[in-house]
Amino acid sequence: MIDPLDASMKIAGAGLQAQSTRVRVVSENLANAQATGTTRGADPYRRKTVTFESAMNRALGVSLVKIKGVGVDKAPFRVEFEPSHPAADEKGYVKMPNVSLLLEMADMREANRSYEANLQMIKQARSMQSMTIDLLRNG
Amino acid sequence: MEPIHLFDLAAQQSRWLAVRQNAVSQNIANANTPRYTARDVEPFEAVVRKTTLSLAATAPNHISSTPAEALTARPRKSDSWSTVHSGNSVSLEQEMLKAGEISRNHAFTTNIVRSFHRMMMTAIKG
Repeated sequence: MIDPLDASMKIAGAGLQAQSTRVRVVSENLANAQATGTTRGADPYRRKTVTFESAMNRALGVSLVKIKGVGVDKAPFRVEFEPSHPAADEKGYVKMPNVSLLLEMADMREANRSYEANLQMIKQARSMQSMTIDLLRNG
Repeated sequence: MEPIHLFDLAAQQSRWLAVRQNAVSQNIANANTPRYTARDVEPFEAVVRKTTLSLAATAPNHISSTPAEALTARPRKSDSWSTVHSGNSVSLEQEMLKAGEISRNHAFTTNIVRSFHRMMMTAIKG
């Protein structure tokens, strides 16, 4: 069995990785918030979602976190009336991506908070280890 | 003079704290995982009570229960502050509170060990 403090650093590392993937997906969504299609009546960018799952690691004997998958949001697209747009349909409506800036911001904040919490765990495990090592130094 | 199992107790306590830190890390890593329930380890008192009643190996072919094995605090469902809609019961605030407690207790234990060690050294060196 691995040292629990080392294991907790690895767990927090997996958490950092998961949360940074989430931030990446959020920034993809934000960057493509205005990405429409190019042909008549074409679908625009569809919002991506990310889901986590807890994965048992047999070597460590703990449950890490990993990305279950990056899916797409099935919410309907917004439509805007813009007849001159290349992606406009016969009636002049253009489908816009189903990305809500407010939702993405909230998601980003949550990812940020969880990332910080994981980072704090790494710091704390490290300081606990160094406290024990300090016993040798000036015991 | 009654023997003081202070160093043994301190080692047990710091092992238990490491296991608890591990549990808190797992909770925080899975803070956004749907249907994940927060875990905690059993309290230190329960662990100590259990280990003092462990069987002694009286013959060489007895399988000894290693202290690390006996101390592996089994995770239990923690009484969480909140459960969100996705079925996740990790509250980051609660976990941070627990982490602070762990850090404080670890500093306390290591400082006690250091001071006892210094006292012993004083007794030896004169």
